[in-house]
Amino acid sequence: MDILIQQLFNGLTIGSVYSLVALGLTLVYGILHIPNFAHGALYMLGGYITLSMMTLYGVNYWFAMFVSVIVVGLMGVLLERFVFRLLREAPPLHDKIAAIGILLFLEAFAQFVWGADFHTMTSPYDQVVNIMGLTFTMQRLLIIVSAIVVMILLYLFLKKTYTGSTIIAMSQSREGASLVGININKVAMLTFMISGGLAAIASSLASPINLVFPGMGHLVILKAFVIIILGGMGSIPGAIVGGYILGFSESLGATYISNDYKDIIAFVLLVVILTVKPTGLFAKGER
Amino acid sequence: MLKLSNVAVSYGSFTAIKHVNIEVAKGEIVVLLGANGAGKSTTFRSISGISKLSQGEIYFQNSPIGGRAPDKNVQAGIVQCAEGRKLFPQMTVQENLRMGAFVHRMKKAEIKHSLEKVYNLFPILKEKNHDDAGSLSGGQQQMLAIGRALMSKPKLLMLDEPSVGLAPLIVEQMFKVIEEINREGITVLLAEQNANAALSIADKGYVFENGEIVVQGTAGDLLANGEVRKAYIGV
Repeated sequence: MDILIQQLFNGLTIGSVYSLVALGLTLVYGILHIPNFAHGALYMLGGYITLSMMTLYGVNYWFAMFVSVIVVGLMGVLLERFVFRLLREAPPLHDKIAAIGILLFLEAFAQFVWGADFHTMTSPYDQVVNIMGLTFTMQRLLIIVSAIVVMILLYLFLKKTYTGSTIIAMSQSREGASLVGININKVAMLTFMISGGLAAIASSLASPINLVFPGMGHLVILKAFVIIILGGMGSIPGAIVGGYILGFSESLGATYISNDYKDIIAFVLLVVILTVKPTGLFAKGER
Repeated sequence: MLKLSNVAVSYGSFTAIKHVNIEVAKGEIVVLLGANGAGKSTTFRSISGISKLSQGEIYFQNSPIGGRAPDKNVQAGIVQCAEGRKLFPQMTVQENLRMGAFVHRMKKAEIKHSLEKVYNLFPILKEKNHDDAGSLSGGQQQMLAIGRALMSKPKLLMLDEPSVGLAPLIVEQMFKVIEEINREGITVLLAEQNANAALSIADKGYVFENGEIVVQGTAGDLLANGEVRKAYIGV
């Protein structure tokens, strides 16, 4: 029983990280219909920037994360402005090629600047807490709480502010958004900024329990794609629920099936759900 | 108020409209007639700034607006209610209307006032204000599309085939509403296939064929024109 609760808690931790990454991916997909393969590289950059801020400048963890969010967010804006916007009239394949190109470039860039070594990020929250026979580190608790706070803030922003609802509006009808006077270029840049920011938050939160290295985004981005396919491409609740489903399945699978097969679970889940419900769990209704 | 001077629009090598000259005076209802694909929607898209001009110029209140971004045009008061309605299907009726007031987003009191006005014009929208736009019937969606356009307080309202696919009774109602909107001082540019109904409320009209204007005149002239009657009214 203890093991089960412990694993559910672990699932909540990884699920939180997955959800944040998948949210950024699904937002961009929702409005621009670009599968942004470079999202994993933004995640990786976020980890390195937070780490560098802490080790080189000795700033505190939260401030380092803040800088990382800003930098990666701006990086996202640059990608929209100077890559994806120019490809808007091009065939969809070109966006995908460009995204893969950016991914390869950023990874090579990280390797050039920071080297190929694995780095550990020391978090100020590494104390172990013991509650009712369960042990966990503060960092893991922090991941869950921060992720949920970020998701609530994002929800309020998208639902309750005019600026946020332009993103929803554009995802439902780009031309409709144009017709009510929304500048779709600004919305696209804003979406990329939020998407990059979310990736930076996710990696800054997850790095202390994982490692920082140039390929750290690979599995995460592949799983984020599984999540948004599961949840329905472009669906925001789908990204959140999908993230947690995957988190729970992985941690339970690792315990009760085999730790070696942990990373396969995501893809098995994908095959099963797509067989049963090919449109994804939260697919947008047909018009 | 609005003047199109020798406008042409091409999509790749295909010329959708050419030599289009249209003048709309303040307070008028002007109708564009023509079959599907004759160029009415492209003309609207060029005025809105969604389609780029390959030739000619468009003037709104005497300043050139050709090639200006769509959002700038909405701010200036040129609002289009497009064919296919282009609503936000998973947003509620009220959210759609509020998005319509996007260019006035800082003026809360004004938005509330506009919302009341739209609800007075279309009471059914008030009844359904928490329903998703995608769940409405065709007629209700058309009302919502017009309502959303009105929320931005247009000076010039362009309606692209508002009667298409609607039951005759609803169509009649729709044209009454268009007249009412016009009486409030909004200039209306209307694209229609339902020539009889459209001309009965219009001041003047232009007939499109294959991307060009072939006949133009006052509503009375067009109704009396034998060829127009034969082609678009059927008697």
